[in-house]
Amino acid sequence: MSDRVTLKIKRIVDEGPSAASLYFDSDMKVLPGQFVMLTDYEEGERPFSVADADGSGICLTIKRMGPFSKRICSKKAGDLISLRGPFGNPFTLVSGVSLLVGGGAGIAPLYLLARGLIASGNRVIVVNGARTQDALLLGAWFGRLDADYRETAEDTGEKLSSVQLAARILEREKVGCVYAAGPELMMAALKDILPDIPYQFSFERYMKCGVGVCGSCACDPSGIRVCVEGPVFGREQIEKLSDFGVYKRDSTGARVPFRK
Amino acid sequence: MAVSLCTRFLGREFSSPLVLPAGILGMSYGSLQFAHDAGFGLVTSKSLSLEPRKGHEGPVVARFGGGILNSLGLCNPGIDAGLKEIEEFSCMVKAPVMVSLFATNRHDFEELAGRASDSAAVFIELNLSCPNVMDEFGIPLASSKELVADMVEGAVKYAKLPVVAKLSPNALDLPVIALAAQEAGAAAVSMINTLGPGLLIDTAVRKPVLAPRYGGISGPAVLPLALKLVHECVGRIKIPIIGMGGVSSADEAVQMLMAGASMVGVGSAVWLEGAQVLTRMNAGIRDYLERENFVSPDFIPKLERKNV
Repeated sequence: MSDRVTLKIKRIVDEGPSAASLYFDSDMKVLPGQFVMLTDYEEGERPFSVADADGSGICLTIKRMGPFSKRICSKKAGDLISLRGPFGNPFTLVSGVSLLVGGGAGIAPLYLLARGLIASGNRVIVVNGARTQDALLLGAWFGRLDADYRETAEDTGEKLSSVQLAARILEREKVGCVYAAGPELMMAALKDILPDIPYQFSFERYMKCGVGVCGSCACDPSGIRVCVEGPVFGREQIEKLSDFGVYKRDSTGARVPFRK
Repeated sequence: MAVSLCTRFLGREFSSPLVLPAGILGMSYGSLQFAHDAGFGLVTSKSLSLEPRKGHEGPVVARFGGGILNSLGLCNPGIDAGLKEIEEFSCMVKAPVMVSLFATNRHDFEELAGRASDSAAVFIELNLSCPNVMDEFGIPLASSKELVADMVEGAVKYAKLPVVAKLSPNALDLPVIALAAQEAGAAAVSMINTLGPGLLIDTAVRKPVLAPRYGGISGPAVLPLALKLVHECVGRIKIPIIGMGGVSSADEAVQMLMAGASMVGVGSAVWLEGAQVLTRMNAGIRDYLERENFVSPDFIPKLERKNV
């Protein structure tokens, strides 16, 4: 009756200097946007979106951020990792032209989503954005899909942000639904430029239990929980939030304003 | 017959006998709102301490066949920020909140009770029994009748609101502790806090599943113990009891009321069954009242002591 599986890393692949992908043999059934709670029993447990899953294996693409993710990214094949999940409300696949906007490591869950949308016959446009060129992740993965894939880095070429590039695409494409994952401020800026169309954003907030009991990831004012009702929220839910792009909460529950 | 879930407790009326216990949700005004919307008649804040606490590093929760092991570590934003969250909740919705307070000594409980009295909360609950912090703070307060009496007496002296003492099932003689709380001035007691603590092991890595090693046991496995302890205490004390421990269905909530509780806490079921369980439980309690011809939960007969 345990809700956890402890698995050997089958393969670990560096994704440029800033991230690594961990592959596991697992029959875990994961829907696009869902996440797992991951620990190596050294220190802490963190949520990670699943980048890919096919019924016999799963892949997590993890960005090197703090001590936790750096330690996980430096693991070797054969090392043990313990997972709980999958948890959370997934993306809902909407028919029509789909615009996927990823910022930084937020691009990871959009890969599984893109595969799902393409498999159900939708035209998929992907915007992959990052602060720097070497922080762009999974370009090769998307390149192999039947998708209109664009990437932009704020230190290269036209120096567009993902939101600026998305705005250009929205000017000439009749997009049915926008899907985004990445920094909350990116998604807040994206929301501001969207025409009157449906959208779904995947949230990343401080999480402690992952199963809806500790209250750490509840959004204001309704208290919808990123770990259960989210991480993917739809337009109707996001429009009612008072904290979206304004503040998040830390491990004590104190409000931490987003730095604009 | 027209039945109502309206429940009287400590001179107030609540829209349901179901109580959100301290520690589940309750971290922010949003999460209090969520619990209220889910169907709780009374919501309890996270246990607030004088200073903010981050709680433990994960994993802090684990499942087993009988329920849950947890050691969240009493994370909370501290008394000042916590009371502001309660204030904000009360501004949005006219629903009662119980503020839970957590300290390790009488002086801090006095200070907390004084500050909490000038808040939007209607009751103060003293968390005397959390086993998650045994490593840090030694024997839990709730295991000693002298310590319980001392903490309650101090809080009551500074509190302008009714004080509820939350008791632990780990005491050797719980009725004696409940009696001590009553004599020290508690308006009610709530029981049971988590049992144990207990241990679960990841056999692949050969380590405890929870980062803090041990965690309090809750969920279905503790229900019979909670019912028995509530029933045992109700005959010995005059103050009302908020009964909790593994309740996850309408029938189990009715059992808790029958055992002698005035209101019923529902915690672990929010995880194991989902927050929708509250809707089902309220509807199920209503069905029971209709079927048995009781006007409200207050009229559910208590199990006679001689029947035990």
